[in-house]
Amino acid sequence: MKAPPLKKIWQWFERTRVGRSIFRVGLPQSNLERAQAMVSSFLLHIQPAKVNRHSLRASYSFGLGLISLYLFLILIVTGVLLMFYYVPSTEQAYNNMKDLQFVVSVGLVMRNMHRWAAHLMVIFVLLHMCRVFYTGAYKRPREFNWVLGVGLFLLTLSLSFTGYLLPWDQLAFWAITVGTNIAAYAPYIGPKLKYLMLGGNVVGQEALIRFYALHVIVLPAVAGFMIAVHLWRVRKDGGLSRPDEPGDTIQQIELGKLPTNKTYGLMELARGMTPQVGRNPADEVFAWPHLVFRELLLFLLVVAMVLFLGIFWNAPLEQLANPVHPPNPAKAPWYFLGLQELVSYSAFWGGVVVPGVLVMALLVLPYMDRDRKGVGRWFPRERVVANTIFTVCLVIAIVLTTIGSLFRGPNWSWQEPWKRPPTVTEGR
Amino acid sequence: MTDGSVRKLYVWFTVLGLLVGSLVVLGYFRDENRDWKDYQHKFIQEEIRRASTAQQRALAERIPLQIRQILLPDLNRVDRCTTCHLAVDDPSYGGYPNPLAYHPLHEQHPFERFGCTVCHRGQGRATTSVDAHGNVPHWDEPMLPVRYIQASCGKCHEAADNPAAPELVRGQQVFENSGCRGCHKLSGIGGVIGPELDKVGAHRSPDWLTKHFLAPASVTPGSAMPPQKFAEQDLESITLFMLSQTGETAPGYYASMRVIPSVGQGQRLFQQKGCIGCHSVAGKGGTVGPALDDVGLRRSTEWMVQHFREPQAVSPGTVMPQFSFTEGEARALTDFLVHLREQNVASNLPSLMSPVERGREVYRKYGCAGCHGADGKGGVPNPNAKTAELVPDLIRVAEGYTNDELRDRILKGQREITALDPKRPLPPLYMPGWGGVIRDAEIDDLVAYLISLKPAGEEPGF
Amino acid sequence: MPDTNHFPAESEVSRRGFLELTFGWLAGIFAVCASAVGTVRFLVPNVLFEPSLLFKAGKATDYPDGSVTFMEEERVFLVRQGNTFRCLSAICTHLGCTVDRADHGYHCPCHGSVFDDQGNVKSGPAPRPLEWFLVTLSKDSRLLVDKNQRVNPDKYLVL
Repeated sequence: MKAPPLKKIWQWFERTRVGRSIFRVGLPQSNLERAQAMVSSFLLHIQPAKVNRHSLRASYSFGLGLISLYLFLILIVTGVLLMFYYVPSTEQAYNNMKDLQFVVSVGLVMRNMHRWAAHLMVIFVLLHMCRVFYTGAYKRPREFNWVLGVGLFLLTLSLSFTGYLLPWDQLAFWAITVGTNIAAYAPYIGPKLKYLMLGGNVVGQEALIRFYALHVIVLPAVAGFMIAVHLWRVRKDGGLSRPDEPGDTIQQIELGKLPTNKTYGLMELARGMTPQVGRNPADEVFAWPHLVFRELLLFLLVVAMVLFLGIFWNAPLEQLANPVHPPNPAKAPWYFLGLQELVSYSAFWGGVVVPGVLVMALLVLPYMDRDRKGVGRWFPRERVVANTIFTVCLVIAIVLTTIGSLFRGPNWSWQEPWKRPPTVTEGR
Repeated sequence: MTDGSVRKLYVWFTVLGLLVGSLVVLGYFRDENRDWKDYQHKFIQEEIRRASTAQQRALAERIPLQIRQILLPDLNRVDRCTTCHLAVDDPSYGGYPNPLAYHPLHEQHPFERFGCTVCHRGQGRATTSVDAHGNVPHWDEPMLPVRYIQASCGKCHEAADNPAAPELVRGQQVFENSGCRGCHKLSGIGGVIGPELDKVGAHRSPDWLTKHFLAPASVTPGSAMPPQKFAEQDLESITLFMLSQTGETAPGYYASMRVIPSVGQGQRLFQQKGCIGCHSVAGKGGTVGPALDDVGLRRSTEWMVQHFREPQAVSPGTVMPQFSFTEGEARALTDFLVHLREQNVASNLPSLMSPVERGREVYRKYGCAGCHGADGKGGVPNPNAKTAELVPDLIRVAEGYTNDELRDRILKGQREITALDPKRPLPPLYMPGWGGVIRDAEIDDLVAYLISLKPAGEEPGF
Repeated sequence: MPDTNHFPAESEVSRRGFLELTFGWLAGIFAVCASAVGTVRFLVPNVLFEPSLLFKAGKATDYPDGSVTFMEEERVFLVRQGNTFRCLSAICTHLGCTVDRADHGYHCPCHGSVFDDQGNVKSGPAPRPLEWFLVTLSKDSRLLVDKNQRVNPDKYLVL
């Protein structure tokens, strides 16, 4: 049986002058080419030529970090497309949203995709953080990567928050009013921070353009950079964490004593923690095609999921923002509702101290947790204490968020969602 | 080149690639399949059917399928109603069912300048009928039932004496005569017990409004407003008038015809601008300018309109100031002056009325009847008030108060109303202070009127 | 454990592998192309927020006999001669500036093109005469100008 015709066409193209000038290594045919494809490609070279087979296991990482990255990419693409129709002006923004819904081809789907991808990204970044914690993958040498991750989590929330205002409807306006007022509860810097965020004292045109600039260029650029460093660190810290790690990968390389079993470029010989190729050959597989194809498949899956949600489930759009008619209750975006629930108990302790302590705890966690027991496994016995504490905090956060979103009615009073009266548009 | 696990990956590629591709295709075609295209097809079929020549037929066949819209940047609106309502400007479609029906053209309101939603409300930017007609969540301006359409005239035009909107005029009259202003401010004049009404039409539906008139507490729990007894037609009219109060301001071009010329409008302007300060009518008034009694006989209407526009142009050296009247205002004033002799129009001028007559006007203007009843007869309930659970009538107020005491009471009001039963809630209605709202001269006239309410022939004292 | 680093030589590819490869790539290409088409369609505007090319120019009685009326937003001249109505484009055919009405004819302030009353080029860099647009009567008796349809200068609406 001859090779498939598609492949023949491609191979013919590869051999032309144009083809050879673009693709320095063609579709890999040999092991050497498989390794070269990874190392000499711009898009692929952040990944190693070979990966440990354990890293490919879906039941270990669930691809959560990758899913978060793909959602970020989908958000960038849909976001840029939406920019062709959206003007960040209080006079126009809402009208543009209506136009996207009614007049732009697949505009509604595009907007839906953007919104659901945003919500999913918050969820998956959180899930990814939980996975990293439960597998002890923040421990040495990955402490700083964990810190970068916490930073990325906060960036994700900021991106979502800044984007939330842009439709300029009642939902957006009041969520940001509530959110910035929660921020204002921080002592000394709170009110100044709110003033800086809003470009003034009210949520108006200045706030809209600031949030737009942050949402569209500043935060994505910072996040993109941090993601690049985050992925770089994954590489340099020895790939994804796995059991049986001590010994086979954590080995300082001394520049004077170069190993003899390496065939790659200089980048592989720098000091640091690198996977040792050739030590456990049975455990390692070529990134092309095993890693790369799986990554591509996961990408298709994520795209399919976001497309499906975008086609069948409409993102909300309420009335035009109206400072005179606050809804009762006025709620922050869902990922801040746990925070808002805490604030309802105590503005200072709930809104400033608790979240501040939590973030600090997350940041210093890897430096407090010194030993390397239980790395690379899910719920190992040695980490019962740490896992329990984390789970308790996580459950409390989820419970508070659930209360804030489903169990709080007018005046923030307790209201069971199954007993809620049908929504009547205020006094019509 | 493939082996077991990698081959499986290719299977997954196929599945997921097909899935993503199919979802994109599905989303695309769902989106292309719009209702308005069906309506446009029907219209095109109808046009082809009606075509009597080959040329007409060719024209009809070439009608493109596209979203049609009317851009109204000054009103910050875009109306896409004509995407489905394709024959609104074609008289030959009169009598067709909607959406192909013809809409009678209003000379002064061409579709290109006014669109549709300014009068009919609804969601102009939508392209599906349900969304466009506006009875959807999160859209506060659903289409007005046609019987209330004249409410929209009130957005740009002053209601009084609008010959094209008799329902609206009627509604305003019902409003003024029912004393609503006693508790509610409108355009800055009125009481403070109830909320201001300047924007009530923007966010209340006709149903809510009618219910509110008949049984206020049923739509506004704890309301102090007494149930109103309106005849059916009055109820419709006043609901329509309330719907016209949206607080929307018409920009530039649209405001230039705010006043529709009529005798009534002219008279109101005559009073507002204080013409009587320099000109006299029936012997009363200023002497700086000429008497106006028969100006209609001496001057042509064109001359008068021009005189209002620019006094110096027709009367060089005149001391009459330039008032910057709009076209409508100039014509209204001219109308009024022309008819000054006829129909005893002049007798409606305040300067020519007696104090008691003027006081009756003040009583009506500020809505005293809302609490104290028409002609001060009372009968308005005030639950748990010591005064027989009613707002007191004013018939015998002359006996209980001196003029000064009466004046004082009107200016300062009475906040504390003695309760009949201390265990029940306090009486909801009280007398607001009208100082600063009712002008000094008006208070004197009002006092004169109230004193005059005592039935003739009664012995003073009790 | 199968040695996943040993890949069979080309001739060893089985028929099943052939199909999977081809379909796999085809499905991938299908997904990419569909997405590209969807994206391009998204970017093609369905409505324009500009003055419409098909517009009503008011009633015939709005234009005095012998008048040439400049319509600012639509950038055309409405020309009435007796009972004939015509519509001339005010956009200079040189590089697109708006021409001015001169005593007789039209003059472009940008580069000095001069046109006569018929729109023909008398002097200057303009390569073509000014365009005439179709004028008809709408169903509600208004002058209807269609800038999508260019006509010869001798074609006009007669009322």
